Amino acid sequence: MSSIATIDIAPFLSQKSKLWKNDGIRSLMALESTPGIISLLAGRPNSSTFPFESITLKLKPTLAGLPPATAGADPFTLTIEGEDLNEALQYGMTPGAPRLLDWLTNFQTHVHKRVQDGSWKVNVGSGSQELIYRTCDSLMNDDDFLLIETPVYPGTLGFLAALPCTLIEVNADAQGLNPTHLETILSTWDTTHPGKRYPKALYTIPSGSNPTGASIPEARKIEVLKLAKKYNFLVLEDDAYAFLYYGPEGQQARSYFALEVEVNAEKGRVVRFDSFSKVVSSGMRLGYITAAPGICNAVALITTNTSLHTPSVTQVMAYKLLAGWGPEGFLAHCAGVAAFYRSRRDMFERVAHKHLSGLAEWATPVAGMFLYIRLRVQANNPDADTAELMRTKAVAKGVLAVPGTAFMPLRGPTPFVRISFSIIEEAEAEEACRRLREVILETRAEAEAAMRTT
Amino acid sequence: MASIPVECLPESFYLPFLSDLARARQPSPIRSLFPLEATPGLLSLLAGKPNPTTFPFTSFSFSAQAPPVEDGQKAAGEIALTLSGAELADALQYGPTGGMAPLVDWLHGLQETVHGRLRGEGWTLSVGSGSQDLLSKAITALLNPGDNVLVQSPVYAGVIPLFHSLNCTQIEVEADADGISTESLRAILEGWPVGKPKPRVLYTIPYGGNPTGATATLSRRREVLQLAREHNFLIMEDDPYFYLFYGSERTPSYFAMERADPSSAGQPVGRVLRFDSISKILSAGMRIGFASGPAPILRAIDGHTATANLQPASLTQAITHKLLDAWGHDGFLAHTRGVSNFYRVKRDVFEAAMQRHLAGLAEWSAPQSGLFFWFKLLIPGAEDSAQVVRTQAFERGVLALPGTVFLPNGRATPYVRAAFSLLTPEEVDEALKRLRDTILDARAASAQ
Repeated sequence: MSSIATIDIAPFLSQKSKLWKNDGIRSLMALESTPGIISLLAGRPNSSTFPFESITLKLKPTLAGLPPATAGADPFTLTIEGEDLNEALQYGMTPGAPRLLDWLTNFQTHVHKRVQDGSWKVNVGSGSQELIYRTCDSLMNDDDFLLIETPVYPGTLGFLAALPCTLIEVNADAQGLNPTHLETILSTWDTTHPGKRYPKALYTIPSGSNPTGASIPEARKIEVLKLAKKYNFLVLEDDAYAFLYYGPEGQQARSYFALEVEVNAEKGRVVRFDSFSKVVSSGMRLGYITAAPGICNAVALITTNTSLHTPSVTQVMAYKLLAGWGPEGFLAHCAGVAAFYRSRRDMFERVAHKHLSGLAEWATPVAGMFLYIRLRVQANNPDADTAELMRTKAVAKGVLAVPGTAFMPLRGPTPFVRISFSIIEEAEAEEACRRLREVILETRAEAEAAMRTT
Repeated sequence: MASIPVECLPESFYLPFLSDLARARQPSPIRSLFPLEATPGLLSLLAGKPNPTTFPFTSFSFSAQAPPVEDGQKAAGEIALTLSGAELADALQYGPTGGMAPLVDWLHGLQETVHGRLRGEGWTLSVGSGSQDLLSKAITALLNPGDNVLVQSPVYAGVIPLFHSLNCTQIEVEADADGISTESLRAILEGWPVGKPKPRVLYTIPYGGNPTGATATLSRRREVLQLAREHNFLIMEDDPYFYLFYGSERTPSYFAMERADPSSAGQPVGRVLRFDSISKILSAGMRIGFASGPAPILRAIDGHTATANLQPASLTQAITHKLLDAWGHDGFLAHTRGVSNFYRVKRDVFEAAMQRHLAGLAEWSAPQSGLFFWFKLLIPGAEDSAQVVRTQAFERGVLALPGTVFLPNGRATPYVRAAFSLLTPEEVDEALKRLRDTILDARAASAQ
C-alpha cells in the first residue's frame, strides 16, 4: 500500500492570519475543567437571569414522507429545556457546540467515506459565507493569486474585493469548471506571471453552481485534483447545493473531499464548505467547514476574536433536529427537498421552452435552483451583452433577473442572465418568460430598424 | 418629551474617519437590485432564496418569564409565545443585512426611551451577531493599519487582539474607580507631537468597566465629550453592562449626553458610536448586539456584514423580538432591574468574603455594575500578579485572571480580576480562603 501524505498547511497561511492571537481569557478556559478548581475566570452571565423557560420546535413530516425519528409520544415535537436550554442560551465554544460537531464529523465520514484519522475536522460557522471569507482571509497575502471559477457567486467576489489577492478567472461551462482551461493557465504561468508564486487556491462551486446551475462530473473533478497536486494549490469546495442534487439516481459525483485520498494519495488539500441554508433554514445561519486542522484553527482564531462563536441557540436546535433524524433521515429529507426543486426546474423549463425557444439557450441543471440563460438579443451575435437591457427594458416590462456580469470576477460583459426558480409559481413564471420574450423581440426589432436607417 | 431641534454633524464630516477599506467597499451587485423588487407588478427571478416549503419546521414556541410587575419581584407567571405563519417564514429565511425590521424598530424605540435619542436625527441602528461582531467591524471601519487609537486601560481583553490585528498603536488612557481618567486623556492629547495626526477614536467601557467594574462619573463623561470635540475624535461607547448597574445613582450614557446634557448645548451631535448587548440580560447564546450611531459609520459596518456574513441570524432575532414585543419597553426595563439586583446580591456576598479573607492582603473598590471585582494583591516586592495567579493560586485550586491580560500593551500589574456571576456563597468563601492562603505564602516567600 502506498503511503498517504498529509499536506503541510503552514506555507499556505497568510501573514494576516499570524497577527491574530487568542486573548488572555479564552486560552485559560481549558483549566476550568481541572477537578476541584473554583473558577473566578470567565465573565459568563448567570443562566438564571435569562428569561426563557423552554423552546419547542414543531416539525413537518419530512418531505420524503418519513416521520422524524424522535423519541417520545409526539414525533413532530422537539423541546429544548433544562441543560439543553442552558447550553442554548449561554456562551459557547468557538469551533461549535460539541454535540453538533460530533454529529457532523460522523456525518462527513458517512457521506464522504473519510476515516477520522486526525487529518481533518469540522468547525461550525454562522453560515458558510462567514467560513469561506475567514478561510480566504487566512490564506491570501498581497502578492497571492486565487483561481476562481467563472462565472461565480458574487457573494464571494464581495469579500474578495476587500482582500489583497489577485483573481484569475477559470472558465466554467455546462459541465462545470473546465480543467483544460485550468491547465492552460497553470502550464503557462511562468510566462504569463514571471517570478510570481503559483496560485495558492482554487475556489469552485461543484454542485448546482450559482449562477450556472452546472454540476461538475467526477471525471473532471479528478483532473482538477491532479492539477491541484501538480501545481500545489488548495481546493476550496463551496458545496452549498450538494444536498439539492436531483439528477439521475446514483450518479451524483463524489465530492473533492471524498476523492482527494484516492486520486492524489494525500489528505488536506481540499477545504470543504457545507450549508444548512437550503435544506433546514437560511435564517438560522448555520454552515460548517471540513478541512485540515491547520485551516480550521486559523478560521477559529478569527472567529474567537471577531464574533466569539456561532449562536448556541441555533446550534442546539440543529443538533436536536439532526440527532432525531440520524444521517439517513437527514439525507432522506434532503432528497425530498431536491425532488421539490426538480419539479420547480421542470415547471420553469416547460414555460421557458414555450416562450423563449429560439430566443434563449440554457443547459438543464441537475442540482440547485438556477437556470443560467443566454439571451439572444441580437439574432446574429450570440455574445451580445445583456446587462443594460436587464436593468432598464426588462425592469420597465416588469421582470427582474440578475444580469450575468454580476457573476464575472473582472466584471466582463456576458449574454447570460441568472434566473432563480426556487420561489416563483407557474402562472407568474409563465408571465415572466412572456415578458422576457417581448423584451428580446423588441430589442431585436430596434436593432434591425437601426441597421436599416444607417 | 419635547423635541429640541438638534444639529447633527454632516455626512461629509465622517469621511476622514472612515478607513481605506471601508471607503473601498462595493455594494453587492445582487443586493443593490433588491429595491427594484418592490416595484408594483414586477415579477422577480432575482434572489436565490430557498423555498420556505422545504424548511422542516411548522412553528417555534417558547415560554418565558412574564416581565416583573414591580421592581425586584420576579414575575408570577410565564408567557407562551409562538412564531408561526409569516413570522416563522421570516425567522427561517434570509433577511436584511442590518437586522430584521420589527426588531430594529423596537430597539430604535428603546434608544429613544432610554437615551432620549429620536429617530431621524442623524443616527441609525444595526443589529449584529453579538456586540463583539459590531465592535470588530467598527474598528475595521474606522482604523487603518498602523493608526493610533485611544484605549481605556485596563480594558476588556477581547478588544486588544482586534487592535493588534491591524497593527494599531494603542495609546493607553488610565482608568480608576471613577472610570476613565480625563487627566490622563487630556495629558495625552495636549502633549501630542505637533504634525503627527491625533488619534481619531477612543474606545471606552463606561459602565461596570471590564475588568475594573468601575463606572465613569458624570463630570468625567462631560470632560471626555468636551475633549472629543476639542481634539476631534469619535467615542466608541462599549456598554454591555449598562443594564447591570446596581450602584446608587445612574449616569446617562455618552449617547444620551451628547444630545441632551447641558454641557452639550449648542454643539452638534454625532461623535458617539454606542454598542449594546443582550448577552448579559436575555441570552449570551443568541449572539445579538446592536450599534447606534452616525449613519455613515453604520453603513460602513453594514457593508462589511453584507460581504462577510450576510446578516445576523434571522431566527435568533425573531425569538428576541417576539419576547421584547410581548414585554414592551417597560417590561424589558423592569426585567433588567431584576437582573441587576441579582448581581448586586452576588457582589455583596463576594465583597463580604473579600472583607473576611483578604482585608490587608488586597485593595479594591466595590464595583457598581457588571460581573467583576478588580483588586490589587498586596505582596511586597511583587509588581506582577501573573506568577502568583497562574501557578500558586491555581495549585491551591482557584482560577482567576492576572491583570496583565487587560493591559493593551501587556505590562505587568499587581491586579487580578475575579468574576462573581456564577458562584454560590460557599464557593466564593472557599475560593477567597484559597486566595488568602496563596497571598500569605507569597508574602512569606518575599519576606525571606
